[in-house]
Amino acid sequence: MNNIFSFNRFRLLVKRQWLDFGKIYLISLVVLASVICGFYLFCIPKVSQGLPPVNPDGYLDLKFRYPLFVIVGFLFITIISSSYFSSFGQKSRAIIELMVPASIFEKFLTGIFYTAILSIFSYVLIFGIIDFAFGKYIVMSFADHKFELSSASTKVSDQYYNFTLTRVASTINYKEFWPLTFMPFFATSLFLLGSIYFNRFHYIKTAISVLVFFWAGGYILYQVMSKINAQFKYQGPIIGQKGIFIIVFSTSILVTFWIWFIAYVRLKEKEV
Amino acid sequence: MIKIDNLNFWYSKGKPLFKNLSMQLSAGHIYGLLGKNGAGKSTLLKNLAGLVYPQSGNLMVWGLDPRKRQPELLSKICFIPEEFDLPPVKVKTYLKANTPFFENFDHTYFNRLLSEFNIPEDHSLTNMSYGQKKKFIIAFGLATQANLIIMDEPTNGLDIPSKAQFRKIMASALTDDRCIIISTHQVRDLDNLMDTIIMLDDNDVALQASVDEITEKLTFKRIDQVDNTVIYAESSLSGYHAIVPNFHQEESKLDIELLFNAILTDKNKFKPYFN
Repeated sequence: MNNIFSFNRFRLLVKRQWLDFGKIYLISLVVLASVICGFYLFCIPKVSQGLPPVNPDGYLDLKFRYPLFVIVGFLFITIISSSYFSSFGQKSRAIIELMVPASIFEKFLTGIFYTAILSIFSYVLIFGIIDFAFGKYIVMSFADHKFELSSASTKVSDQYYNFTLTRVASTINYKEFWPLTFMPFFATSLFLLGSIYFNRFHYIKTAISVLVFFWAGGYILYQVMSKINAQFKYQGPIIGQKGIFIIVFSTSILVTFWIWFIAYVRLKEKEV
Repeated sequence: MIKIDNLNFWYSKGKPLFKNLSMQLSAGHIYGLLGKNGAGKSTLLKNLAGLVYPQSGNLMVWGLDPRKRQPELLSKICFIPEEFDLPPVKVKTYLKANTPFFENFDHTYFNRLLSEFNIPEDHSLTNMSYGQKKKFIIAFGLATQANLIIMDEPTNGLDIPSKAQFRKIMASALTDDRCIIISTHQVRDLDNLMDTIIMLDDNDVALQASVDEITEKLTFKRIDQVDNTVIYAESSLSGYHAIVPNFHQEESKLDIELLFNAILTDKNKFKPYFN
């Protein structure tokens, strides 16, 4: 018997976890969809209000959805991650969970699957579907209306016809944000670690720890860089934007894997 | 089967729970683990299951280290904790999710146990009482065909008929390749079930002996007066309940409570009788 990894055991474990985790997860998806829909219903432009906000290119500019995507997404994936191993903090649940005949690595991988893969994927999917549906709705509701844009008269439906998910990508310049692609995984890794590290109040304790850590780290970095800068004369940037982006991206991957590794060790050392 | 050598364990460094604890347990026995509150009964069971880690010493179960929590060993251990929390699902759903982990899970036996315990199969675990849930996990644990059954206060929460059913089921569950360890304070519930007694006291094993060995060496009887042959006695309405050396090969029934109190009072008195 392979005591480290067996695909069959991993598959069974994913299925078993769904029993426990699935119902709460599906409810949280419904809540998530309701929250996103609520924001859209409240914020989308209506025909009766006249000309909707458009950007200089003449495309519909729904600025609210960018912070909405980031904030709601962050809350959703971190809450899911923070609750995953929370049962290990309760003696009555932890014994039964730890005694399941699967390896620690398999239990950990199942955690990664639910918190980092499924939660991010389902969030992006739900947000995308809702965004797409409301985009279509706006196209339909503005299809027969004309508005004055600057001096030219433009049929707004032409503009809205282009307002699809692909337009979102062109509105937000991906080239400026690609180094942050791995950040959602980084966030889930932190809160997954918190869920195994703390026995109670996982979310709030993790959030406070992360804030303290980042403040302290930022302050130390600032002090060190200030002293270094004072000793040298500025002669232009050492590395350009591309280099910085590569550093940010690769650091986020490395740190995420490092935190996952710590979470694995904590799971391995978990006692009841 | 289970070998413990010089086990040292503490929750806080100044208060050791086990100091160089050593013992061996074999298959084919039902061990009764006894000790006063805080003696470390549950902790010893958790050490055996790999739920806590000792600071030093060796502990092997079926030749495997429980600290590694390997699936091979976990599938051979059934741990029935005193406190537990089951997911809010139906019995069938629970079985569907958990039985595939146990290659030898016996569905027929499980159904028989459920019916003996009067638990309907289509019930949701949420709607069950604590006692019903306990009977459910006992039935599930036994049906896994695990070789090591660890039970922490199994009769807590069981009603009187269920305790009798439990004794019957456990007696029939013992096989030559299975070891059952039961930690309990309710010795009267299980005194006919246990064939070997382990008592923990003062960070170590105060007594480990089979019931036969104990009754062969000691006699438990009621006496009118205490003389110098008596090892331990407790007064009662009709004289004294006493433990005396069994010089004349008398047959007597082991009084676990009396023996327990005697060991806690002065275990050194019993050392000449048990190694």
